[in-house]
Amino acid sequence: MAIVETKGLTKVYGTGETAVTALDAVDLSLDPGEFVAVMGPSGCGKSTLLNLVGGLDTPTSGTVTIDGREISQLSDDEITRLRRERIGFVFQFFNLIPVLSAVENAALPLILDRGGSARAAAKAEEWLERVGLEDRRANRPDQLSGGQQQRVAVARALVTEPALVLADEPTGNLDSKSSEEIATLLRQVSSEWGRAILMVTHDPRIAAHADRIVFMRDGRIVDDTKIAGAESARDAMERVGLL
Amino acid sequence: MSISFTLARRYMAGRKLRTALTTLAIVLGVMLIFGFNGTLPGMMEWMRKSMLASVGEVDLNVQSASSALFDQRVADKVAAVDGVAAATPVLRRNVTLPEKPDYHTTGITVIGIDPVVSPDVRSYPVAEGRMLAASDDDTNARPVAVIPASTAEKMGLAVGDELVVPAASGAMTFEVVGTLDSPVPPATDEVYVSLPLAQDMFAAPGRASAIEAAFEGGADEETVQEAVGDAVGDGYVIGSVTADSTLAAGFEVAGTIFNVLGLFALAMGGFIILNTFRTIVAERRHDIGMLRAIGASRRQILGLFLTESLVQGVLGTGLGLLAGWGFATVTAAGMSELVGDLMRIESFETSFSVSTWVLAITLGMGATVLSAILPAIAASRITPLDAMRPQLGDVYEKAATKRGWVGLALVAIAAGMLLSGNDGLIGLGGLLLLVGMSLGASAAVKPITDFFSRGIELVYRREGALARANLQRNPGRAGVTVSAVMISLALVTGIMTMTAAVVGGYAEYAEKATGTDYLVIPQGLMLSGGMVGAGPEMAEAVRSTEGVGDVATLRYAPAVVGDLTVQVVGIDAEEYAKVASFRYSEGSSDADLAKLADPDMVLANASFRAQTKTAKGDTVEVMTPEGARTFTIAGGGNDYINAKLPTVYVSQEALADLWGVTADVMVLANATEGADKAAVLQSLGATIDGFPSFKLYDALAWQQVQNDLFGQLEIVYYTLAVVLAIPSLLALLNTLAIGVLARTREIGMLRAVGATRRQVKRLVVAESFLLAAVGTAAGLVAGVPLGYVIVRSIGAVGLEFDFVWPTTGLVVTVIVGLLFAVLAAIIPARQAARLDVIRALRYE
Repeated sequence: MAIVETKGLTKVYGTGETAVTALDAVDLSLDPGEFVAVMGPSGCGKSTLLNLVGGLDTPTSGTVTIDGREISQLSDDEITRLRRERIGFVFQFFNLIPVLSAVENAALPLILDRGGSARAAAKAEEWLERVGLEDRRANRPDQLSGGQQQRVAVARALVTEPALVLADEPTGNLDSKSSEEIATLLRQVSSEWGRAILMVTHDPRIAAHADRIVFMRDGRIVDDTKIAGAESARDAMERVGLL
Repeated sequence: MSISFTLARRYMAGRKLRTALTTLAIVLGVMLIFGFNGTLPGMMEWMRKSMLASVGEVDLNVQSASSALFDQRVADKVAAVDGVAAATPVLRRNVTLPEKPDYHTTGITVIGIDPVVSPDVRSYPVAEGRMLAASDDDTNARPVAVIPASTAEKMGLAVGDELVVPAASGAMTFEVVGTLDSPVPPATDEVYVSLPLAQDMFAAPGRASAIEAAFEGGADEETVQEAVGDAVGDGYVIGSVTADSTLAAGFEVAGTIFNVLGLFALAMGGFIILNTFRTIVAERRHDIGMLRAIGASRRQILGLFLTESLVQGVLGTGLGLLAGWGFATVTAAGMSELVGDLMRIESFETSFSVSTWVLAITLGMGATVLSAILPAIAASRITPLDAMRPQLGDVYEKAATKRGWVGLALVAIAAGMLLSGNDGLIGLGGLLLLVGMSLGASAAVKPITDFFSRGIELVYRREGALARANLQRNPGRAGVTVSAVMISLALVTGIMTMTAAVVGGYAEYAEKATGTDYLVIPQGLMLSGGMVGAGPEMAEAVRSTEGVGDVATLRYAPAVVGDLTVQVVGIDAEEYAKVASFRYSEGSSDADLAKLADPDMVLANASFRAQTKTAKGDTVEVMTPEGARTFTIAGGGNDYINAKLPTVYVSQEALADLWGVTADVMVLANATEGADKAAVLQSLGATIDGFPSFKLYDALAWQQVQNDLFGQLEIVYYTLAVVLAIPSLLALLNTLAIGVLARTREIGMLRAVGATRRQVKRLVVAESFLLAAVGTAAGLVAGVPLGYVIVRSIGAVGLEFDFVWPTTGLVVTVIVGLLFAVLAAIIPARQAARLDVIRALRYE
C-alpha cells in the first residue's frame, strides 16, 4: 500500500478574476521507503504540494491519503497528531529553536508527544549519532555550521520513527559540500532506514540521489520518471527541458 | 524539567535587558502592595496594643462611642449592676509638653483616678514613695502625681521632683510623690493624678473619659457586660477600647493610596508585559510555525507562552515580595525614626499576614499571566505555514482603525458626561475618556506622529523621518506605549490640577482666617487630638491685654452621627462674626450663623453635609454624652481649620450643656483701631507665656506657617505624581528596547550603508521624543478633564474647591514627558549604536 496518495489534488488561491491555481488535479503516490524528488520552476506548485501532503494547508478539491487515512476527514488535532507521529519535516532554514541544544532540538517531537524527557533524549542522541553529530549534541544552533544544523533537523524529523519525511529545499541554504552530505544522508534515510521521502528541490545534483523525479509546471505533473543514478536523472531533466 | 519551562528560562536568559525591564514593571507594583500591607498591620497592632495595655488589667471598660467626655456619675450606674464589684471614673488625656523644661518626651498621658476606688479596680504596685490618697483630691492643696518607674526614668524624675504640665488655667506644677512598678503601654509616658485635679486641669468638672470596673468573683463576664450596657444606655462602648479614630483613618487612607499606587503600577506592568509578549510572538513566529509543523498542538503553543508568563510572574513577584519586605522594613525603621517621637512610638514591626501574601502574589502573578493571554492566544493561532513565510508588516493596521472608531465614540460620550454637571456621570466620563483615548491611541499614532515629527525633523531631519516611519509601521505597539505614557501623564496633570484647586482653596480659607489679627492656637492644626483646652482665664487674659479689641473663642467636643465620628465646635456667633468669617456654601450667610443662638440649631460644613447626606434645613440626630439630640442645620459654612473633617458648629452654651465642655481650644483676637499691632503682639506674647500648650501668631506669621504647609502639601502631591509616572517611563524604555531588538538587522543594514553610530543613536532618541510627545499631548488632553473629575469628586465628599486651570501642572507634565523621553532613550540608543554590523546583519 502506498504511504502517500493524492487524487485530483487542487489548490486555488483567491477568487474570481484574481484566482490563481497553484495545484491542478495532481495524482501522486509514494511507496514506503521510496525517495521522490519534486522539481520544477519557481511557482510551479512544488511547495504547495508539499504543504498539502503534510496537512499544513487544506486543498480546494481532491484528497490526500497518508498511511491509509484521508486527511481532509481529520480534525485539526488529529492532523497535528498525524504529523507528530507519522511525518517528519525538514525545512530550508533548518528552523531549530535557538535556545535549545542539538539533542534538545532533535528530541522536540517526542517531548511534544509527552514522551519522558530521558527516553526522548536517549532516542535523540541515537539519531544524532546516526547523522554523525554525536560529538555536537550539547551545542546550540549558533555553535553549529549550516550543514550540521540541517543534520540536527534531519535527526529531529526521524526521531519519532515516521513513515514519511517531507523536505522543502533542504539544501537551499547550504554550500555545495554540505548539500551533498545532506543529500547522501537523505538517501540513507530512505534506503537504509526505510522512510519514504518527498523532497522539493531546485538542485539537479541533489535530485539525482532520489529514486524518482516528479517534474511540475503550472501546477501539474508533467513528468514522473524513475531514475538510477546521476546519468538517468540528467536524461530526465533534459527531456523536460530543465537542463 | 518540562520543555515549556526550559524554553521560558532560556529565552528569558537570552534577552536579559528585556527580561529585566519586564520584571521591573511587576516588581514595582508588588513591592508597593506587599510592602505597605506589611507595614500597616504593624502600625495598627501597635495602636491596639497601646490602647489595650492602658486598660489591660481592667475587667470592664466603658467609653462614649464618640470618645467625648461624659458625666462621671455614669460610674454609679455601672457600680449598681449585679456582678460589678467596683466601678470608678477615669479621665485620660494626652498632653503635649512644652519644649522647656526638657522632659525627653514630647507628650504624656495624664490619668485622673479616684484614689479610693481605683485601687479596687486595678493594681498600683508602689515602687518608691506612696500612692495617691483621698487627701490628694483637694484642689486647693499642692498638686501631687504618681508616675510609673519607667516614665520617671525616661523623664529624669525622682520622688520629690517637680513636674510642670500644661493645664486649662495655664501650667500646673506637680510634686512627684511616688513611682509605680505597674506595666506601661508601649511608648507611652503616664502620669497619675487625682480625678478632681485632672478635671480641674482640663476644665472638665464632673467629666470622665472612661469608667473602669472590676467584676465580682464568679460573675459571668458576658452577662455583666450586657447588664452594664443596658444600665448606661446608648452612646457607649462596653468592654473594648477604640483606637484613635483620626490616626486609624489616616493609616487607612495611606493604605488605600499605596494599594491604588501598587495597582496602577501593576496595570502599567500589564501594559508592558502585553507589549513584550506581542513582540516575542512576532519574533518567534518561525519557531512557533515549525513547532506546529512537527506536531505541537495549539494548546501546547498556548501553554508555552503562558508558562513563560508564569516564569516571568514568579520572577517579578518574587523579587517584588523581596523588595516589598525591604520597603516595609525601611519604612518601619524610617517611621520610627521620623515620627516615633512625635507619635510616641518606639518601633513598628512589619507583619505580613496570609492575606497580604495572597494579595501580592495573586495580583503580581495575575497581572503577568492575564497580560500574556492575548499574545499567547495569537501565538496559538499561528499556522505551520507561517514557519515558511516572510515576516508580514502592518498586521495591526486594521484592528487599530476599528478600535480607533470605538475609541472616538467613547471620547464623544465621555465629553457629554463631563459636561453633564452630574457628579456620578462626570466620574464615569473621566474613566471613559481614558479608555476611549487608550483605544484610539493606535489609530491616532499616524496623524499625531506626522504632526510632531515636523518639529523633530527640523533638528534631526533624516533620523526624524525614519523614526516616524518606524512608529507608524507598528501602530499597535506604539499605541500601547502612548496609552501607558498618556495615562501616567494624565494622572500627573490630574493631580496637579487637584493640587492647584486644593492649595488655592485653602489659601482662600486661610485668607479669611487671617482676617483676624491674632490667633492663639494649640500646637497642631486640628482641634481634635486630645490637646489641653484653656479655661476662661486665657480668653480673659487676651481680652484684657492692652490694645486687644474683639475676641472670639472656639471650643471642641467629639460626637457621633450614625456611624460617623464628627467634630462639634462651639462658638459665640456674635463674637465670631466680629473677628472671623465662614466661607459660606451656596444659600447660606451670616444670617444663618446668627441662628446658632437657638441651641437646637447647627451650622454644618461641607464635609459633614456630604458624609451625612444632609442639606440646609434638614434635621440631624447627634449622639451626645446626654443621649441622642436632634439638631436642625441652619446653614452651610466652612472654616479653614476644620474644613477637612465633618464638623458642626453649635453655640458654646449648647456645647457646655450637652458635652460639658467649657475649655477654649482656640482664641481669635483683633487689635483695637489705631493700636500698635507689634506692641500688642508683644503684650499678647507675654500673656500667652502662661499657657504653654498654646502658640500665638499674628496674621503674617500665621500666613507664613500656612504657606509652608502648602509647600509641604505640594511636595507630597508632586512626589506622588512622579511615582505614578515612573511605570510609564518603564513602558517607554521597554518599547524602545524592543524596537531596537526587533530591528537589529535593519540597524545593521543602516550601519552597513553608511549610517554613523551617532545617527543610529539619534534615530532611537527621535523615536523616544516622538512617542513621548504623542503620549504627553494625549496626557494633557486627558489630564485636564481628569483633574476636573478629581476636584468634583473631592467636592462630593465635602471638600469644596473651585476648579483652577492648572497652568503649572501643564508645564510640569510637559517637562516630565520630555525628561522621560531623554531618560528612556539612553540605554536603547547606546545599545543600538554599539551593535556589531556583521552580527546585526545575521540577526534572526
